[in-house]
Amino acid sequence: MSDVPAVEAKNLVKDFKGAFKGKKVRAVKNVSFQIAPGEVYGLIGPNGSGKSTTMKAVLGLVAPTSGSTSIFGRNSLKVDSRNEVGFLPENPYFYKHLTAAETVRFYGKLCGMRGRKLKERIGELLELVGLQDARDRRLKGFSKGMLQRIGLAQAMVQDPRLLVLDEPTAGVDPTGSREIRDLILELKNRGITVFLCSHLLEQVQQVCDRVGIIHQGVLVNEGRLDDLIAVENRTELILENASESLLDQIRTLVDVTHQAEVVSEGNARTTLEDLFLRETMSDAKEQAASK
Amino acid sequence: MSTRASTSFFSLRRILIIAQNTVTQLVRMKVFYFLAPIALLFVGIQFFDLIWYQGAETLQPEQELRMHKNICLGTMMVFSSMFGIVATALLIPGDIEDRTLYTILCKPVPRLDYLVGKLLGVMAVIFIAMVVMDVLLVATLHFRTEQKLVEVTEYMKKIGYPEEDLAAGRAEIAAHGPTLILQYGVMAHFLKASVIAAVALLISTFSTSTIFTIATSAMVWIIGAFQSVAREGLFTDPFFGEDPNMAERIVSTFVTLVFPDFKLFESIADGAVRAEEVLHTDMAQLGGFAALYIGIYVVLSWFVFSDKEF
Repeated sequence: MSDVPAVEAKNLVKDFKGAFKGKKVRAVKNVSFQIAPGEVYGLIGPNGSGKSTTMKAVLGLVAPTSGSTSIFGRNSLKVDSRNEVGFLPENPYFYKHLTAAETVRFYGKLCGMRGRKLKERIGELLELVGLQDARDRRLKGFSKGMLQRIGLAQAMVQDPRLLVLDEPTAGVDPTGSREIRDLILELKNRGITVFLCSHLLEQVQQVCDRVGIIHQGVLVNEGRLDDLIAVENRTELILENASESLLDQIRTLVDVTHQAEVVSEGNARTTLEDLFLRETMSDAKEQAASK
Repeated sequence: MSTRASTSFFSLRRILIIAQNTVTQLVRMKVFYFLAPIALLFVGIQFFDLIWYQGAETLQPEQELRMHKNICLGTMMVFSSMFGIVATALLIPGDIEDRTLYTILCKPVPRLDYLVGKLLGVMAVIFIAMVVMDVLLVATLHFRTEQKLVEVTEYMKKIGYPEEDLAAGRAEIAAHGPTLILQYGVMAHFLKASVIAAVALLISTFSTSTIFTIATSAMVWIIGAFQSVAREGLFTDPFFGEDPNMAERIVSTFVTLVFPDFKLFESIADGAVRAEEVLHTDMAQLGGFAALYIGIYVVLSWFVFSDKEF
């Protein structure tokens, strides 16, 4: 793995002009972080915390007031740095007059792709995001989820080494959301670096290796997810098919040794998302079987 | 994984991709539907004569042809200029509002390529519309010229005009038909619309609303049309022909630099209506003048747009 970070922000500061002349608003305050190649990094924070500004600075859409951002060692403000990036904005809107295939083709051509290679790539990507049946439909009639998928396809068209995703599952139903999450994990397995912003903390937790928490423009915490969320003095033990007598023995052992304390116990829970998917997928399967 | 090659500062290929997409966008917005009423107008004026036209015996059929050209070229001028302003004013703010611009600028696309591509796309659509209108103009004018030639020839033969007078009369009428000079008039309107589109491009790079862009571009259009008249009236004495003083010269030069002098385009188009001789060099100069203004406006747009934050 290369030593050059996929993304680097060094002492990033960004001021915006306020409503009144001369009064500036500091949106990002001395933020520094690095994303290693192949890593999935999540930037989380409340609305107005500066995460979108940080993301835009990384993409070169806004110029830092001071400090710098780079992508694979290249200054983000240089056009060259964008050869390696795919970006999916929050709630993306694309040219409504284009079809799904034309949209991917347009962005592919902008990246210098052409001919057979581009044609094959369009087919591959539309299949990957599950839009092959809608390839010749104009985006005018697409749902929010479908727009999100076409957004992902255009972001990946030139096979970038870095994907920047701003709220990638905004407006997508749980099934689509799970598919996007699986896709991020697949991209990670392929060595692609992913930098994502999301309000859905559970999803960030499921896919990210490292996270940064930004609040009022300051990166208040940053590190490996496992380190950040682990409660050091607590241990989780999940048993399957444990009998009541076995559980009693464990409780007794804990009581007798006086070295630990049972804080809580009960049935392990699935997530609402898993339940929803199980129910809807089994329903869909039954319908398919009856047909 | 290897890093990709560096991106060139200016790529004609990328510009053409953006221009082609702009053309597709405008075509699918059904802008060419505007051509239907224009076609009806061009065909419809075939059936109207000037109220003082009393038939071939007046021996002034060229007046009819002049009216035909005047209406058609005037319509083409208004359509192309308005289209240049409105289409350009809508496209870039539309891309910003829809955040489509984010996805384009996050690809290796220099901002200059984006601006030039958008402008070329609008110019291409204006050009296509002008070609369609020009074909209609040539066809209807040819039909009407032939009609007048037959009328006048029959009348002059009936009266017994000498052969040389007959030939001169016919030549006079033919000069008002579809000639190369007429094409220069059409080209002048296309160049004017392109310059106006470039003005709208510049304004849209710093404007915060489409309405502002359209209104300001329209203002530039009007000032450009009347600036030469205003300069003459304000800065020279019409009776004694005194030279303007230094302050007047500076103001006059400033106005000329900021606002293109559309009178230059109009004079070529007016010449085409009156079937006056237009020199090829005049037309080439007008082309150079238009290219210079478009170039200046594009560079200024780029200066504004290159530092714009989204």
